[in-house]
Amino acid sequence: MDKPTSTPAPGKLRLGRYLRSFAGILAGLFLLWRLYTALIVDQQFGADTWVRFALSGLILGGMYALIAIGYTLVYGIMFMINFAHGEVMMLGAFGCFFTFEALRFIPAPTLAIPDLNFLDAHPILSVILAFAVGISVSATAGYFLEKIAYRPLRKAPRLILLITAIGASIFLQNLAMLLFGPQRKNVVNPELLDRGAGWTVIVSGNPVLISYTGIFSLVLSAVLMIGLYVLVQRTKLGRAMRAVALDKNTASLMGVDVDNVISKTFIISGALAGAAGVMWAIHMGLVNHYTGFLPGIKAFTAAVMGGIGNIPGAMLGGMLLGVIEAVGPAALGIDFQLKDVIAFSILVLVLIVRPSGILGEKLSEEKL
Amino acid sequence: MKAAVDKGLRTGVIFGIVIVVMFLIGFTVTGAELVGKLFGVSTPSNTMPSLSFFALFMILMGTWTGTIAAQHPLVEADTWKRALTAGISAGAFSGLLAAVIGFLFGGLNSSKIDPRTYLPSISPESIKMFLFGQTSLVGSLMIFALLTFSALAGASLSYFLRSNNGLKSGTSAATNSISAVMRSERMTSLLQNKYARYVMMLVFAAILLILPRTWGSYWNYVFGTVGIYIILGLGLNIITGWAGQLVIGYVAFFAVGAYTFSLLTAPEPHHLMLNFWVALGLGVLAAGISGLLIGLPILNLRGDYLAIVTLGFAEIIRIMLKSDLMTAYTAGPRGIRDIAGPTLFGKSFISDVDFMYLIIIAVLVVTFLANRLQNSRTGKAWYAINLDETVARATGINAFASKLLALSLSAAVAGLAGALFASRNQFTGPDDHALMVSINVICLVIVGGIGNIPGIFLGAFALKGLPEILRETESYRLLIFGVLLIVMMRLRPEGFLPAKRPKLEKNSGKEA
Repeated sequence: MDKPTSTPAPGKLRLGRYLRSFAGILAGLFLLWRLYTALIVDQQFGADTWVRFALSGLILGGMYALIAIGYTLVYGIMFMINFAHGEVMMLGAFGCFFTFEALRFIPAPTLAIPDLNFLDAHPILSVILAFAVGISVSATAGYFLEKIAYRPLRKAPRLILLITAIGASIFLQNLAMLLFGPQRKNVVNPELLDRGAGWTVIVSGNPVLISYTGIFSLVLSAVLMIGLYVLVQRTKLGRAMRAVALDKNTASLMGVDVDNVISKTFIISGALAGAAGVMWAIHMGLVNHYTGFLPGIKAFTAAVMGGIGNIPGAMLGGMLLGVIEAVGPAALGIDFQLKDVIAFSILVLVLIVRPSGILGEKLSEEKL
Repeated sequence: MKAAVDKGLRTGVIFGIVIVVMFLIGFTVTGAELVGKLFGVSTPSNTMPSLSFFALFMILMGTWTGTIAAQHPLVEADTWKRALTAGISAGAFSGLLAAVIGFLFGGLNSSKIDPRTYLPSISPESIKMFLFGQTSLVGSLMIFALLTFSALAGASLSYFLRSNNGLKSGTSAATNSISAVMRSERMTSLLQNKYARYVMMLVFAAILLILPRTWGSYWNYVFGTVGIYIILGLGLNIITGWAGQLVIGYVAFFAVGAYTFSLLTAPEPHHLMLNFWVALGLGVLAAGISGLLIGLPILNLRGDYLAIVTLGFAEIIRIMLKSDLMTAYTAGPRGIRDIAGPTLFGKSFISDVDFMYLIIIAVLVVTFLANRLQNSRTGKAWYAINLDETVARATGINAFASKLLALSLSAAVAGLAGALFASRNQFTGPDDHALMVSINVICLVIVGGIGNIPGIFLGAFALKGLPEILRETESYRLLIFGVLLIVMMRLRPEGFLPAKRPKLEKNSGKEA
């Protein structure tokens, strides 16, 4: 439909480019000034608070990264913004919530504690089960989303695909609201993974809690990211995915089943989003139909920030965005209510200053 | 035969899932209420509609299943046997799914477990209705039988209509004769006759003059909303329909217009108390400038970034309006009250009838401008960009400037709608500018006919007017919009009233 101008015509757009760099410099100076006032002049927070912020940012960033990978994979292959991706993650979070609720009803009495339930008796197994349920729900949702909504439009213009994706997002969100009700649900974790439990580290005289759920999420997201990277770089499916992303027609001539690869891409991205959703449910503890919306958009921001179509970029972008979002309000000395504004401002800033992202886009010229 | 069964089963799975989901979200009750409304029986709140309406609703669903299953092109050699096989297998499978779910929930109900803890849309009454007030076994058998037989009936009906050529040619002859009359020479000459057109315009104007006086305030309110959404739709159509750039956060410009207007005219928080018309102009201007500023960095990038950036912008505006930071300037979450109504020659006319006239005039003006724009050089440039930007640029169109113009114009129109909306309600707050508004506008443009002005009128009446009549569907509105978007994109991406221009791209498509 439209061709981007990553290489603008000489002369015509020079003014635009100057305006852009001017806006970039202005924004940079403003940020530096705010940082200076908040960090050096005011010194409102001690080192322990900064550590706390950075930690929560990293944990959040891991989840953003997992979701962002889904955006990037799909964008790299189909060249569309899978707007319903956040909703796929929300379904994963609901999967975890319902697994925990169901396990809580299964009695597993021991001699010492007669009214013990399964969730507390076998916490590790329960968490594994929750991940299995959440990931499979999300992967299934991703698969059917592609099959029902996107596949018939394989040859349609991108505007139509984007509108379909928005429709799917609205549909899934409202279906979840009507099915499970609009109020937020408390996810009751197994006692072992209680949100208040964790190691305590003393930073500049104050204790900083490193919660088990947080470390668990962070480690797991790192493992998943490494696994995905290996999958894309080392396996046959990964090679097929890269081939399809490069050029669909040639790939199909080389014997790659394009439809199959696209299906699998959606399953993988759905599974990663599902894992992120389960982590969200375990770590944040609140789930409702709106859970996926903001993380979805922020993860898209992260994907654009890292360079869309670029998997390491999505990981880096997600982590960065998480940290910036957690540290940002304090560092810039703005209201914590405006936390969500930061992500969107970053999106706009990145698009103004460096639209190809930090690590650059990996998209073939063919598709641009 | 096997193919017919397969086809039937596939249809049955889809419809069975649809029925199960309807049950789970409580739509079976709403559907029964709607059927009741069709017969002129309104169901008071807190009571269940009568069982016969529910049965009728299920029969309708089953008939639909059968009709779809027995559709011609998918059942190879078209014999009545195959059609009926497809129908009955579809009905039986969807009936089986419904019966299983009914049996399960009937069991829960009889063992006094309330499913509402996890599935709040299901009440014991709705389960009872789903089982026709019987025990779970009998009830699930009943729903199974009902769906199977109605699907059979649907399949035979569709086969009958298809095979019975006389009936078919009868209906097509009727439509043909109507269109023949419309296309006949006298009719076209009448339509082209200048005086006849004047007369028609006069009649139209008279209707528009009289209607707001006779409707009463409720319908004035409803149609006022429709009018504002027509303006919004016409605005979004400029950038999305003609220039081909999707804007999800269109509500941002609506909010800029509404807040600029409100802050300039309301006594709180700034006490500027500007004249209505001056504030209206400034609101439109502010919205247009915001569109320009958003477009400047984004529009020469890939098209779908614009969608997300405007979405981000809309969220930023909403969060900022809600936050404490801006409370001193924008009255925060409480919103702005006592916004001025329109005045003319020192006389204020704020009554809903008068305001309806204002909205009608605004709609007519925007329609006129949009129509002129469409056929102008700029409009053609937008169309060229929509079709193929590279080619458009090669023919000397400054794509960036054209898109920027389109975005600022459509932002300005949204600003006008926002100002009118705020003025009519005499109140505006952050919740008036939720993303929901943009989604409504996108839906109405797409459903009506993207890029087509009459289509937008149709879309606005269908999506903003109809829900007012079908109040029962209120909570399902967004869900239905989502389904509508997906289905429309798949079956009829050009909308119900497609634009007249050749949609080369939409039909032939190109490699995504």
